[in-house]
Amino acid sequence: MRRCMGEESVWRPVNPALERISVVANERLAEGVGLVTLHAPRAAAGVLPGQFVHVRISRGTDFILRRPFSVHRVSGERIEILYQVLGVGTRALAEKVAGEEMDLVGPLGSGWRVCEGTARALLVAGGLGVAPLGMLAEELAGRGVAITVAIGAPREERVLARNLFERVARRVEIATDDGSCGLRGPVTGVCERLLSDGSFDIVYTCGPELMQRKVATRAAAVDIPCQVSLERLMACGIGACLSCVVRTVDGMKRACVDGPVFDAQQVLWDPTETPPEH
Amino acid sequence: MTVKLGGLELRNPVLTASGTFASGREFADFVELERLGAVVTKGVSLDPWDGNASPRVAETASGMLNSIGLQNPGVDAFCENDLAWLADVDVPVIVNVSGHSVAGYVGVIERLERETGVAGYEVNISCPNVDAGGMAFGTECSAAAEVTRACRVATTRLLVVKLTPNVTDIVQIARAVEAEGADALSLINTVLGMAVDVETFRPKLSRVVGGISGPAIKPIALRMVWQVSNAVSVPVIGMGGIMSADDAVEFMLVGATAVAVGTANFIDPTVTMRIVDGLAEFCHARGIERVSDLTGAMKA
Ligand SMILES: Cc1cc2nc3c(=O)[nH]c(=O)nc-3n(C[C@H](O)[C@H](O)[C@H](O)COP(=O)(O)OP(=O)(O)OC[C@H]3O[C@@H](n4cnc5c(N)ncnc54)[C@H](O)[C@@H]3O)c2cc1C
Ligand SMILES: Cc1cc2nc3c(=O)[nH]c(=O)nc-3n(C[C@H](O)[C@H](O)[C@H](O)COP(=O)(O)O)c2cc1C
Ligand code: FES
Repeated sequence: MRRCMGEESVWRPVNPALERISVVANERLAEGVGLVTLHAPRAAAGVLPGQFVHVRISRGTDFILRRPFSVHRVSGERIEILYQVLGVGTRALAEKVAGEEMDLVGPLGSGWRVCEGTARALLVAGGLGVAPLGMLAEELAGRGVAITVAIGAPREERVLARNLFERVARRVEIATDDGSCGLRGPVTGVCERLLSDGSFDIVYTCGPELMQRKVATRAAAVDIPCQVSLERLMACGIGACLSCVVRTVDGMKRACVDGPVFDAQQVLWDPTETPPEH
Repeated sequence: MTVKLGGLELRNPVLTASGTFASGREFADFVELERLGAVVTKGVSLDPWDGNASPRVAETASGMLNSIGLQNPGVDAFCENDLAWLADVDVPVIVNVSGHSVAGYVGVIERLERETGVAGYEVNISCPNVDAGGMAFGTECSAAAEVTRACRVATTRLLVVKLTPNVTDIVQIARAVEAEGADALSLINTVLGMAVDVETFRPKLSRVVGGISGPAIKPIALRMVWQVSNAVSVPVIGMGGIMSADDAVEFMLVGATAVAVGTANFIDPTVTMRIVDGLAEFCHARGIERVSDLTGAMKA
């Protein structure tokens, strides 16, 4: 397996902090999917592609833990979070209106790594997996990297962030389960074809864990390095509670500090530890 | 603001609850560790433990369930990494000790006796998340007494024994542990519980059952701290659901000498600092001279 030579990441993380934030806008994009824009100057200035913020959505005692969300995009003092409504926390997030205050802990985690000399990158997203790939795509494009994006979704209205990717990528391929947009079938099929006829320096993927695992296997088969972004239930988000562990060739790692982004060949995949697909 | 635990004088009564604060390093961006009464570390065992399978946590009403299972790299790695890092921090360190057997607990203490920078031990005989040992030692008077006796022989440092609420009569266990020479008692560890996902019909924790922590258990914890501190003469470290200075005051009023903050660290990583400041303000506003005057000051 080829590995990164020389300088790994050009980005230097800033220390996380507790930051008061306010909702600038909260928009419904599709059934059960929203995009919230937050005024969060400190996080916006420091967050790196693939990092996340740990948001305290509610101050009440009905649910008390923070919820982790990838930063999808940054613009000025604002960060954007793309979210799917799943349970009590994301339901409360969907109900937030402009002006409401919350707080976050962040920026957290280690995000995507970019090798010096990367010229061609393949980004593979499944569903909400587009969330952490948005910032990455913009950053890579800014450095002149040629980007190909493959997006998988259940149906057309759930193909998210299409405009962003079409703006910065050389090529965007879409696959939907029902064929309502792009090819019918899983995005892993598109990924396999792209990998066999294009030469990429790196594959970045995020989405359901099983999908990421398949993408990683395909990338390994053609000897291209692959980075995955893994979701785990997180209590603290800062490395203290050990609720978010990932088995790797180097032992147990914490998704919240050692990840969420891992080199695919490091991960010891375990289907029983896969969080529910959504 | 000082309080005394056995022979150890603490700057203030605010401690971290084991397993929620790692060894402090992860909180260095949020907390001035020197302003804590003490850092109580995560549980340390003689050999490395892998902990349990995921999912290891589930949120419940006003609290959370965990079944981490005392994952830790073993006492040697702990000395090399955690203790070495803490050596530069001016704060008393209390090491939380776990074991599958009496010899396991004693082995950890013996290894740590060779190190400076350890102010004392908190012996965890109350973890609900491991099969052998753990809570088994904390639910029977004779076993609790045996572990305490063996640890007492191994050290002259501060010896705290941490009790489980998952017993019929916590006072009996507390008395047995006190009789064997514990310098202080800490309580409560998590309350056994479970949760089920109604979509999948599966338990939310891979281990099925786990320990509840957070505000949901505070009334149980208060009741037990009150019962135990009325029954023993050694100091009690109270914990269970403390989120604010007022919560800490409540524990002291029912008899706690010091308090430990656990799950709240996950919700607000700066919470311990707010509690330290809040306690000082609380006392100042009411003309209470020493924070230790709060201990047991609940009126009938
Ligand atoms: C590093 C990281 C980045 C994330 N980024 C995003 C993002 O950009 N957009 C987005 O919509 N979601 C993201 N998630 C997932 C998001 O945190 C969860 O969907 C959210 O916490 C669910 O909260 P809830 O209260 O709505 O659901 P709950 O009521 O807590 O749970 C509902 C269901 O969601 C599952 N779930 C809860 N938390 C997680 C989790 N952390 N990971 C996987 N499944 C979970 C539960 O097991 C349950 O089945 C991310 C997770 C991590 C760890
Ligand atoms: C994630 C987690 C890990 C814990 N690990 C330990 C441990 O290693 N040793 C121990 O004695 N107690 C452990 N505990 C129990 C806490 O120290 C504390 O007794 C309990 O959580 C109640 O306090 P709280 O409600 O403030 O969290 C743990 C608790 C949690 C939530
Ligand atoms: S969420 Fe607590 S260690 Fe990762």
